[in-house]
Amino acid sequence: MRRIRSYSPVVMGILVAIGCGSGKPQSAAAKTDGTAQMADATAASSPAAPAGSSATASLGAATIQLTARLDGAAPTREVVKMNADPVCQQQHTSAFYMEDVVVNAQGGLKNVFVYVKEGVTGTFPTPAAPVTIDQAGCWYHPHVLGLQVNQPLEIVNSDATLHNINAKPTVNPPFNVAQPVKGMKTTKKFPKPEVMVKFKCNVHPWMNAYAGVVNHPFFGVTDDAGAATINGLPAGTYTLEAWHEVYGTQTQSMTVGDGETKTITWTFKAK
Amino acid sequence: MCALVLGWGPSVARSAQRPAPDLKAGNTAYRASCARCHGVTGRGDGVDAKRFSPRPRDFTLGVYKFRSTASGTPPTDEDLFRTIAHGLPGSNMPDWQHLDEPTRWQIVDYLKSLSPVFEQTAPTPVVLAADPGPSRANLAKGRAAYERLGCAACHGMTGRANGTSAAGLMDDWGRPIRPADLTQGWSYRGGSEPRDVLLRILSGIDGAGMPSYAEAILAEEAWPLAYYVRSLQESAHWNPSAHALHLAGPAPSEMTDPRWPLAERTDVLVRNVVNANGEWTAPQTVKAVSFQVISTDDAVSFRFSWDDPTKDVEAIPDGLALLFKPVGNEGDVVTLQAWPHAGSPPLDICYWSAENYPIIERLATDFQSVIARTDPQPPRLTGAAQYADGQWSLVVQRPLHPTSPEGAAVLAFESLTSIAVMVWDGGNPTARAVSPWVDVALERGRHRTAAHH
Repeated sequence: MRRIRSYSPVVMGILVAIGCGSGKPQSAAAKTDGTAQMADATAASSPAAPAGSSATASLGAATIQLTARLDGAAPTREVVKMNADPVCQQQHTSAFYMEDVVVNAQGGLKNVFVYVKEGVTGTFPTPAAPVTIDQAGCWYHPHVLGLQVNQPLEIVNSDATLHNINAKPTVNPPFNVAQPVKGMKTTKKFPKPEVMVKFKCNVHPWMNAYAGVVNHPFFGVTDDAGAATINGLPAGTYTLEAWHEVYGTQTQSMTVGDGETKTITWTFKAK
Repeated sequence: MCALVLGWGPSVARSAQRPAPDLKAGNTAYRASCARCHGVTGRGDGVDAKRFSPRPRDFTLGVYKFRSTASGTPPTDEDLFRTIAHGLPGSNMPDWQHLDEPTRWQIVDYLKSLSPVFEQTAPTPVVLAADPGPSRANLAKGRAAYERLGCAACHGMTGRANGTSAAGLMDDWGRPIRPADLTQGWSYRGGSEPRDVLLRILSGIDGAGMPSYAEAILAEEAWPLAYYVRSLQESAHWNPSAHALHLAGPAPSEMTDPRWPLAERTDVLVRNVVNANGEWTAPQTVKAVSFQVISTDDAVSFRFSWDDPTKDVEAIPDGLALLFKPVGNEGDVVTLQAWPHAGSPPLDICYWSAENYPIIERLATDFQSVIARTDPQPPRLTGAAQYADGQWSLVVQRPLHPTSPEGAAVLAFESLTSIAVMVWDGGNPTARAVSPWVDVALERGRHRTAAHH
């Protein structure tokens, strides 16, 4: 996921001449020309963002294994209608479903953002490695992600159609930028904690995604099985919060000892 | 980097007349001039707010559409001043030139006090390269940029707001919104000059769907694209009255009749009718209708054209009604916005719909009976319609002195006939758009006048 970029004087010249979008160097960095972006795109098959912290063993050794479950019948998942844009539709040979409520056979609930809300002390380094959100098949991958304050968020368009990424934070500055060319990348940062920041695409109104921004590395997003892991946690007592876009938030408190592994289950009531 | 290259120069120079901020004075001016629509507390909920689509700005959110600044950053003071001074053409925001400059600045300072965004985030002006001027603008390059940057997804290839994503757009407050019809320069909220266009492209329109292209556009594309968009604008002819061209021979009944280019073109604005609650629930899709009139000794032909982003022929078909006052009708129909009302006088309605029926004419006191075609054999009129590139064209030919329906309007030479049009867009079914009455002059002597195109 980490990619080394070099900026030629020509590219930088273009940046100055066009003007500075948000005025931040990291967003200007995405203003390479179309050709360079295409070349980048072929190399980029970015996997989903890391669910949770990278290994920060020096910070602590406790681990929390989380499971999110849905209690009750899951709603029928809606088929996404992409007929407004043939470029989108052509990329799906079979029905594609909304990701707002994704539950496996055992009741595991995907796309729950879980983080330590209270109890973390001290500051933690901001990862230089970006978290990536990819627009592919006219869908955001992943649908829910987490990142740290000021950690780069790399927004990639892997589709040969126009996307606009319209971020609607309430605490952080919003933005709405166009990505008309396949392979285009834009990098943004959120300077303040905010759970959650919503993203949408006006061109394709079925597209939306959520990012949880926290000021430490202790967060995760549940996977297909409804599981996530938070590790590297120092011993202590914490309040954890779990967020789901349909079922809202829940909090739980827990105490972990040094190097201890604890499990915690969140149960959301089906509506 | 930005701070070093601010070369664009605000269009509204920071005035020597700008007084020190005085929020009390600003609040007084705001209440007098702005609160009616934007609300006493600035939340966009004034008494008239619901009559607008899009709705008036909620100033407490600090989200402003027409800026010269990066997406997500607030407008400059000059941006706010400009919007107050010039209004937002094509919307309900009028200009406030009649307020003196110090008062406008007091309002600017007052608006800024309504949202913390102005303290939290500094405006980051976008940077424009030097304007090459119209003679050096490369329109071919601009067109290529229009295609490369996906402008057509919303604005359509010909700019008539008929892109594939146009109908599904929502603003950030969950209300339907439509892209600008780029052929209608008079409706560009932020101004129709290339510089205005380029600012919209680079800044985006925050709160609406229009994203910032500052990171996507190449330096060499920027001005050519702005000039290309400008080249899509068609000039409108807001004539105070319409003049028919008088010709010998049969009146035209086809769109392709070679005599149409000889006739004067008149444009008339249409306005959506509010619903029973006095609300506008949908944005306008049809905003103006152009027409030409050709008369012969016994017939008259109207050629209409109007932009409509979708061709709808089934469930709720597109349609147009041409209205006259019937013979002997002394009742005054002041505005079609309120018609029909209790005790409405009947109107002579020539009705065309895109479902494959002939154009009919009848006298009626409401539209439903005309649209439903309950009359078994209403008089049929000659005409033709076609839809291409987001635009309908329609020719309606009618006798000057119809023998039926009884009481039908008679058009006389050397006098004025008032006409009005009403347009339905099946793709925007809650929005029926009506024009004001327009005088049409039929003059026998008016042969082949110079066409005003």
